[in-house]
Amino acid sequence: MLEELTAVFPILSCILFLPVVGAIVLWFVDDEDTVRSSTLTIALVELALSVFVLLRFVPESAAMQFAERVQWIPALGISYHLAVDGISVLFVGLTAFLTVLVVVYSWDTIRHQVKLYMMCLLALETTTMGVFLSLDLILFFVFWELMLIPSYFMIKLWGGGAERHYAALKFVIYTLLGSVFMLVGIALLDINYHQWASLHHSDHAYSFDLLELLTVPIPIGQQILIFWLMFLGFAFKAPVFPFHTWLPDALLEGPIGMAVVLAGLKLGTFGFIRFSIPLLPDASKSDTVVMVVVVLGLCAILYGAWMALVQSDFRRLLAYSSVSHLGFVVVGLFALNYQGLQGSLLTMINLGFSTAGLFFIAGFLYSRQQTTQLAAFGGMARQVPLLATFFLIIGLASIGLPGTNGFVGEFLILLGAFEAKWWVGSIAVLGVIFGAAYFLWYYERSMLGPLGSAVKSTMSDLQLREMIIAVSLSIMILWIGLYPSPFLRIMNGSVQALVDRLHHEKTAALHDGMTERR
Amino acid sequence: MNFVLNLSFSDLLLLLPEIFLTCWLCVVITVDFVSPRLPKERLAYLSVGGLLVTLGCLAWFDVNQVSGTLFGNMFVLDRMAIFFKIFILGSTVLVILASIEYVDRFTLFRGEYYALVVMSALGMMFMASANDLLSVFVSLEFSTLGFYILVAYLRNDLASNEAGLKFFILGVFAAGLFAYGISLVYGETGKLVFSDMASAQATPGLIIGFLLIFAALGFKIGAVPFHSWIPDTYHGAPTPVTAFLSIAPKGAALAILLRIFIVALGTFKPTWIYLIVAVSIVSMTYGNIVAIAQRNIKRLLAYSGIAQIGNLLIGLAAGTKMGNDAILFYLLAYLFANLGAFAVVIAVSQAIGRDEIEDYRGLGRRSPFLAFSMLLFLLSLAGVPPLAGFIGKLYIFIAAIKEGLYTLITVGLINIVISMYYYLIVVKQMYINEPIDPSPISIRGPMKAVIYVGLAGTLVIGIYPQPFTDWVVAATLMFANFVTPAATITPPTVLIGS
Repeated sequence: MLEELTAVFPILSCILFLPVVGAIVLWFVDDEDTVRSSTLTIALVELALSVFVLLRFVPESAAMQFAERVQWIPALGISYHLAVDGISVLFVGLTAFLTVLVVVYSWDTIRHQVKLYMMCLLALETTTMGVFLSLDLILFFVFWELMLIPSYFMIKLWGGGAERHYAALKFVIYTLLGSVFMLVGIALLDINYHQWASLHHSDHAYSFDLLELLTVPIPIGQQILIFWLMFLGFAFKAPVFPFHTWLPDALLEGPIGMAVVLAGLKLGTFGFIRFSIPLLPDASKSDTVVMVVVVLGLCAILYGAWMALVQSDFRRLLAYSSVSHLGFVVVGLFALNYQGLQGSLLTMINLGFSTAGLFFIAGFLYSRQQTTQLAAFGGMARQVPLLATFFLIIGLASIGLPGTNGFVGEFLILLGAFEAKWWVGSIAVLGVIFGAAYFLWYYERSMLGPLGSAVKSTMSDLQLREMIIAVSLSIMILWIGLYPSPFLRIMNGSVQALVDRLHHEKTAALHDGMTERR
Repeated sequence: MNFVLNLSFSDLLLLLPEIFLTCWLCVVITVDFVSPRLPKERLAYLSVGGLLVTLGCLAWFDVNQVSGTLFGNMFVLDRMAIFFKIFILGSTVLVILASIEYVDRFTLFRGEYYALVVMSALGMMFMASANDLLSVFVSLEFSTLGFYILVAYLRNDLASNEAGLKFFILGVFAAGLFAYGISLVYGETGKLVFSDMASAQATPGLIIGFLLIFAALGFKIGAVPFHSWIPDTYHGAPTPVTAFLSIAPKGAALAILLRIFIVALGTFKPTWIYLIVAVSIVSMTYGNIVAIAQRNIKRLLAYSGIAQIGNLLIGLAAGTKMGNDAILFYLLAYLFANLGAFAVVIAVSQAIGRDEIEDYRGLGRRSPFLAFSMLLFLLSLAGVPPLAGFIGKLYIFIAAIKEGLYTLITVGLINIVISMYYYLIVVKQMYINEPIDPSPISIRGPMKAVIYVGLAGTLVIGIYPQPFTDWVVAATLMFANFVTPAATITPPTVLIGS
């Protein structure tokens, strides 16, 4: 019975549209408490649906699962095609999970225009889900662009900083600049498909469908051009050094909830592993591309860590540590071997717990001191022991201490990097050391030692809602850290298919593995 | 050349929409004259009724694929002509509905306003069907005549008078260029009908003649460097007239441009493509950059319109059937977004009495409906998915990439980013800034209807564009055999297997 039901039930469409439909329904609700509780209900239902997908997902398989496909604009070959595989399914769960936590966090920290905030948050969830679920490149692009609108309003309307107008505009313009180049890349893929299809008398004249584009060979020169065009789109969003300058501003000026989503969900690097590498395997393998991208990644690791070391504002520190972590992910991706890809994918998920978790901690600190400047803290462990403990747990996960999730991911990345090129691995290791330095140094100055003069003696420790957030994040961190195999099994099949496609001469290899199943 | 006029009754059927509208125009004028006490609102509805009947007739033509030529090929009714006629009449209906309240500002001749709008629409319907240079000239002047009066309709307003004078002088100048161009082309080829010119040789006289004609049409669509009348005229003219001016003549003139460049000059595409690419790049960049500095919403929309014309010309530069499809589709998307935006401007200016961008402070509080509509219209103009403008831009860009116009595409894409900046300035005023005067703004029925139509068009074309793509693909079918195959594109070497 359940088998048949899941075969016809469009569960991915439900996941995709539930939040935005919920947001529209919220428009008609006036009472603020009802708004809060209904948002939480919607987010929890969404989480339940995502967990259901994760449970029903067949691990160790490269197949696209739960696929749904309808023609959308046949004249241009655009279709509505949703599916999950080992690469994207974990992100779906992560998005739903983080949204629930953001709703819980925003319960009493957002005090004005609550309804609009919750609507923006739910709209943001839909667009993010859309990015992860879409297999059609235009559909993907639609959600990719749409994400800017709720983000713009969230940074502008609920941001705390004085520079939030500037930050919101900078964020939108930068991301848009990158994504228009990506759109050209997508269109070139489509034209290439069209030319190939018309030579082989195929009936589909145009297509933006990932699975169909994968079947078509692309000349190497074309691949490299498309790679750089798409790279710009993903690099601005990720953000990869040196396209990161909008990130510190957006994270510092925007509300905590927005920062959690921006820093926790690594959409840009997801784009690399979802589209760039499988679609353009020859370009991704070519020496120049690997060299440039890996060097940018290494620069990001060192620059981000170095900048993080000297920040006195905790949120700015987190922004630069994000840049540094993304460097790791990029280095792992372009090691182009099994460990590297697996480690990068796992690290992207991990950052969703650790970096996002640290932003929640920043939020807890902010709600107590109305700032995240170091000067306002000092010796707080005595006043707020629980906060200090969870700060330490999540922070240690972020620097990759063995036993936490960060270790597993970073270890795999370093393994892959050493295997690909020893010098890349050895420079990347420096990043781990710096990472430990900037976090522990900041932790020591803010939490340990004598009580800071600005710290109020009446400061309260974590409350129930904050405890829920901190505890659930810690559970996930320790779960992945101590027993990562369920997560690795989910991604193994797809990662293996990707490696096969990269290293077999036959470009159609991935397609054989990536046939659809329901 | 001797004209023999053989007309049968069935031939006149092709002219039925125009004939009917002409009679209806007389009815409107007569009713206004006979019963001066009649509320002018009734006249508006009377005109709209006539326009809707004509629209229905055209839709019937389209479904039954009525087509043919009249008067020795001067007048052609094909599916593209029908598309543009529907486009023009649709925008006229919306403009009339949006001007009902605004007309109260006119001190004199309120009834004639509607008659003049319908008259201009009639002229543009002939433009959509014009198939030789003479009928282009006559119909162009016929429609512009109405606009000369309409632009200066606010008799006591200095800006409106100035706008009217500027528009008139530059318009007459453009007409002069056009007539001179026609004389050169006719002198060189001895032909006036577009399809007869396809075999012409490129002589210097012919080239200069077509350049002059292009300049005159460039004036109509407001492409740089023929745009200088646009900002002041848009600013000074009564806002509904500005809205009308920003849509309908551009559509009609583009119909003529398509016929001239594809049908008459299709074989010279490798030559004229540079002209179109240059004009397109300059229009987009100039329009968007100057728009950033504007403080008046009408001027902002004027410059954004110049930039949009640059986008439309990308499709012409592609010069393929797909490029033409994309132009038609883009026009549809532009119609709803631009008219919708102007409808919001009219509604706000009715309430506040000013059109400065500053006056949009806190519109999100004062009228959530107006602000949200304006947001969607501006985002559609900027090309944000999944709104109509995005699909339009995508369509045009794909058509151009297929022809390998990478420079043009790059400039176009950078311009999207620039345009986002100034559209966001308006959004910021509406949603972020607190209103000075928090009193809510009320909107009347007809205006609401216009905005709803704009919203519906923007959303439906964006989310379910298939019927519209089918429509535009069918509308340009007759171009399929005129368009020269792109000689520059060679199929890439395809590597299969190892």
